[in-house]
Amino acid sequence: MSAQSLPTAVARREALWRFLREEGDAWLFIARTALSYFIALWLAMRLQLPSPNTAAMTTIIVMHRQSGMVLAKSFYRVFGTLAGAMAALAIVALFPQQRVLFLGAMALWVGLCAGGATLYRNFKSYAFVLAGYTAAIIALPVIDAPSGVFESAMYRITELMLGLLVSAVVNDVVFPVRVRDTLRHTARQQYRHFIDFMRGSTGGAIARGDMEQAHLRFVRDAVALEDLRSSVIFEDPQARARSAHMELANQRFMSVSTSFQSLHHLLNRLQRNGGGEVAGAIIALYRPLGDALGDPAPSRALLRRLRTARHEMPARAKGLGEAVDPARSDDFETGASLVQRFAGELEQYVMSQLDLRGERVSGDVVERARFVRGNDYAGAALATARTVATMALLALFWIGSAWPMGANAMLLATIFSGLFATAPGPVRTTIKVAFGYLGGMIAGFICVFFVLTRIDGFPLLVAALLPFFMVTVYLFTRPTLSLLGLGGSMGLAYILAITNPMAFNPLHFINDGIAQILGLGAVVLMFGLVPPAIGSAWLRRRQLAALRSQVALAAEAPLPGLRYRFESVNRDLFHQIVSQTVAGSEESRSLLAWALAVHETGRALIELRHDQRDQPLPPRLDASVAEAVAALGRLFQQPSQHAYDAALAAVDAALACARSAPGDAVALPFVREHLHLIRLALLDDQSVMANYQPIDAAAQEPVHAP
Amino acid sequence: MPHEIALGGTLVPALLILFIAMLAVFWGLDWVAGRYHLYRFVWHPSLFRIAVFLVLFSSIALLLL
Repeated sequence: MSAQSLPTAVARREALWRFLREEGDAWLFIARTALSYFIALWLAMRLQLPSPNTAAMTTIIVMHRQSGMVLAKSFYRVFGTLAGAMAALAIVALFPQQRVLFLGAMALWVGLCAGGATLYRNFKSYAFVLAGYTAAIIALPVIDAPSGVFESAMYRITELMLGLLVSAVVNDVVFPVRVRDTLRHTARQQYRHFIDFMRGSTGGAIARGDMEQAHLRFVRDAVALEDLRSSVIFEDPQARARSAHMELANQRFMSVSTSFQSLHHLLNRLQRNGGGEVAGAIIALYRPLGDALGDPAPSRALLRRLRTARHEMPARAKGLGEAVDPARSDDFETGASLVQRFAGELEQYVMSQLDLRGERVSGDVVERARFVRGNDYAGAALATARTVATMALLALFWIGSAWPMGANAMLLATIFSGLFATAPGPVRTTIKVAFGYLGGMIAGFICVFFVLTRIDGFPLLVAALLPFFMVTVYLFTRPTLSLLGLGGSMGLAYILAITNPMAFNPLHFINDGIAQILGLGAVVLMFGLVPPAIGSAWLRRRQLAALRSQVALAAEAPLPGLRYRFESVNRDLFHQIVSQTVAGSEESRSLLAWALAVHETGRALIELRHDQRDQPLPPRLDASVAEAVAALGRLFQQPSQHAYDAALAAVDAALACARSAPGDAVALPFVREHLHLIRLALLDDQSVMANYQPIDAAAQEPVHAP
Repeated sequence: MPHEIALGGTLVPALLILFIAMLAVFWGLDWVAGRYHLYRFVWHPSLFRIAVFLVLFSSIALLLL
């Protein structure tokens, strides 16, 4: 709404309604968080656990606006907690009287956990953060009395589990916000975007820029869907039963979008190198598919139309092929088989979408299609080194100064160095959280010494704490202030240190506060000194290299399941790099260009290898195809003009071999088409390959064999 | 049934063991219900799931009395 045009009454009412709904959600979230905080606190006091604050703090750490997220976090937290407890017991048992070794082992464990956290996205990384945190909260307080470690471990586990249980139940029952709804919305949007884009493009080729943008969106959709899927399975038993269907649908989405892109790159190339007529014929072949996709939602009728269109396709292709200039029949056949591959994949994608909506078209047996992530171990090693250094620094300071609050500083450093190891720009993030934390501690000071001293009994305790929590948790629900709110809530919950009976000791309170700020400061310092790999040019180069070596993977890895692995690792790597580059920058453009090339060539290689495996080829052709596949793998792994020439020569040789081979092998035409597609991709003067092409070859017309 | 059970030298409350065992049973039932879409017939599935678990746990915990 702009200030000039006066809003109508209806628009005003709608805006007000939207505002109220958003606020309502935020306040329901505050209610859930406060409810679980106080129930956990009350139960822990009722059960006479020594540190009720740990249970209450847990509910704050796992707070999330969607209930499936809390359940997912809690599930992994249980594992993290148990692993951390084991580590704490082992470390204390090994070095009960050696503070240097003890703290060294502790630093190493926490560092390894932080490194592990960077390897996983989603809430699996949480398990690692908590494994480090739990080990610290169990072992550090008993450093002077090692014999008490078992008891400490038992109590901390009990308190943590109590907090987890309470927040899981409260978030699942009290006005739950379902991830399922978000997931359904995202899945529908993915389908609609894709279908719209496809229908909009039946008229002709798409410009490369638009294609890149569309690719970006498809990748984002695919990764977002996988993220949501991996949390929704904790929330909803029905979704869990359908999880395999969802994975399969997502994989099919990725396959079909790759084929679609290959097709359009081919059309673009043909139109540029004077094959406009062929491109027209391919578009004519593909048009019935666009017509079949009449309505925006998948239905059985739509599936039937697609099937009909696909069955009519070979005959149509034959008719159109006869009209094409014989010198360009290779181009046409490549395009026609690509259209048919695309049609088959599109049909499968629509089928799994129907399955997801409960139509059950393909039965219960579902192919396993895992979404494989692309991980970078160097980044994890860096995070480990940084965290070990942080902990070692604090430990040295602790030992050197004989500071009684050293344990508290280390504890806080443990939480934050794990929690933000995966955040892009962690220095800024941590500083924001630290300010929130400071604010939370000041609020805690006011709360403890000016309010809690005047009250008695649990109901009044609730009344006294509630206003403070409402403010910090409300900040957490605001998108721009959520880091401040997170720090504030954690600082408040941590510093309150509610015990039964409550202990009032301003000196200890202030010392504790200083120690915690110092711990946070050490984390900020080390994030600055050992810059996180995320977002750095070094890691980006590594990730880009990893993306390129996907082609080598496509060229070498064993075939079963390779298609899914290739597509999902590609997306995941790509998504990681994209989320860490500025949109529209030089880096982001070169990345997109490489990603598209990797996608197209890798997929064609996999198809080529499938055909090579399924059908016996003449031995000479078999050998030259293998040679071309290997040369392409080398080219993408270490792109250079020399490797480019070698790859092009190998592909040309294989192509010549395929043309002159005796025509009894069934796979022969397919092999020829795949090779032709790869060759055209290599010669594309708008793709990233143009950097390696000799100047004259780029200008030359591609030679066509008679 | 004894109130505490010795596991590897530590006394563990029998209630905890029953809790974990019932959690396993509950997960089994939950899986079956999810697999065959039985939660269609339930008004508030998450409330129902918690209630089912409470019934399981409480009824087996009565053995300790």
